[in-house]
Amino acid sequence: MIELRGLSKTFVGRDGSTVEALKGVDLDVADGEFLTILGPSGCGKTTLLKTVAGLISWDSGEILINGSPVTGPGPDRAVVFQAFALMPWATVVENVAFGLQLRGVKKSEREERARKLIHTVGLEGFEKKRPGELSGGMQQRVGLARALAVDPQILLMDEPFGAVDEQTRRLLQEELLSIWEKTKLTVVFITHSMEEAVLLGDRVALMSARPGQIAEIVPVPLERPRSSDVHALERSKDYVEITAYLWDRLRDMHEEHRRETEAAAGGVA
Amino acid sequence: MSQLTVAPKMPLGAFVRLNPWRLFPASLVSLAVGAVLWELVGRAADVPFFPPLTVVLARLWEMITSGLIVSSLTQSLINLALGFAISLSLGLLLGTLIGRYRRVEAALGVYVYALLTAPSLVFAPIFFSVLGAGRSSIVGVVVMYSVFIMIINTASAIQNVPGHLLEMGRAYGANEWQMLVRILLPAAAPMIFAGIRLGVGRAVTGMINGEMFIAVVGLGRVVTQAGGRFDGASVLAVLIVIIGVALGAVTLVQVVDRRVTSWLPKTSRGNE
Repeated sequence: MIELRGLSKTFVGRDGSTVEALKGVDLDVADGEFLTILGPSGCGKTTLLKTVAGLISWDSGEILINGSPVTGPGPDRAVVFQAFALMPWATVVENVAFGLQLRGVKKSEREERARKLIHTVGLEGFEKKRPGELSGGMQQRVGLARALAVDPQILLMDEPFGAVDEQTRRLLQEELLSIWEKTKLTVVFITHSMEEAVLLGDRVALMSARPGQIAEIVPVPLERPRSSDVHALERSKDYVEITAYLWDRLRDMHEEHRRETEAAAGGVA
Repeated sequence: MSQLTVAPKMPLGAFVRLNPWRLFPASLVSLAVGAVLWELVGRAADVPFFPPLTVVLARLWEMITSGLIVSSLTQSLINLALGFAISLSLGLLLGTLIGRYRRVEAALGVYVYALLTAPSLVFAPIFFSVLGAGRSSIVGVVVMYSVFIMIINTASAIQNVPGHLLEMGRAYGANEWQMLVRILLPAAAPMIFAGIRLGVGRAVTGMINGEMFIAVVGLGRVVTQAGGRFDGASVLAVLIVIIGVALGAVTLVQVVDRRVTSWLPKTSRGNE
């Protein structure tokens, strides 16, 4: 269980300008839940994820995982990065086994586990390749396998499919669903796509920008498992209505942002 | 949209493959032309300090058969190996510390940059008076010539490691040592090797200059003695050997570089 209580974070630029990335964010994520966080770019979604990962500090509020406060990265959480963050000098096996290597797991043991997960993400035969020889979609499969290899309770995914093409993204979404359905993982998944947020999430946390806040939490009552027939699901009434609703809300946010920018520009003139 | 800017790469590569000039090994052609020019200018000038190539090669052969080259070369290579080994260790250690820790950079950066631009030979008399006229002074000069460029290259290589790799390391629980050994050094290796290649060239220069100044052993001493006799042929003969040493040392570094950074895609190696 992840609990965020009044989480606030302000970035101060070199010129002294400030950006309120997060302001009083309250959020609960239940064990085994798949929560997607959706919002316009620059709304602080990545900041939110990185504070939960323990990668950046925050100004006030607290983050509890199973009741204990987060003070830094921990073995209970694994992160999947938007830019993959694979080590280009290491093979696929070495990349997947990296987290276990850092924990001092024996080479034979960690590579056996890595091979299992490489199989899970459908990359068998590529064990000895290096990231530079793989497509973007395949690189992110390595990133996912690396996260699963450390056997975390919580998977933190930062727009993981944002850098791959549309067709690959759809395949990866289906595979992520079927992997998640077989595990008891809690997932926090950042995205800027309404469709992705609804397809994957049990709930969608809609964020607004400047300051970054949770504007609304939208439950997604679509049946599980979803991986078996994504196509039919995308035609269901609930799916269509929820994505349309989310787009309405996002559009309002963009519209409001445009008006504010114009007002600010007008004020200066 | 940014993909569009990458497009021109392909036709360029195709052009290079079809270019007929690629059929001639340019370096061999250039060497042959240089050798012929040397011979002609040397014969035409007819001065003792610039003898034609054939005279220089004949002198080189004399020096080799008399055993002078082999014994001097051995001494010089020992000076070079010792000096370069010290430089390399110091360069990697200090470069990593300066690149990784702001405070070390603030404390040492100014000295490193100052000493990089200072003419390294000014340290020869200091070593000479402190360490005496022996091998240690020459090794000291080699270190002064080669260490700073390797420190600076290693430091900027460490600083240029992509932030997302560092973030990944932290997220998966790397401690500081693991961060250095598992992420920073491997990621920085290609650029560190670029610095080592520069460093080895400067080490050869330092070896000769040190030996010429502290003329007790090595090829540099032969140069100094021949220079004193106005024996241009011997000076140039030794110069050919020195160039050979430099090329050999750089090739050795390149071989190691290619083994360590074999993961780099061919296209990002540039022209070598």
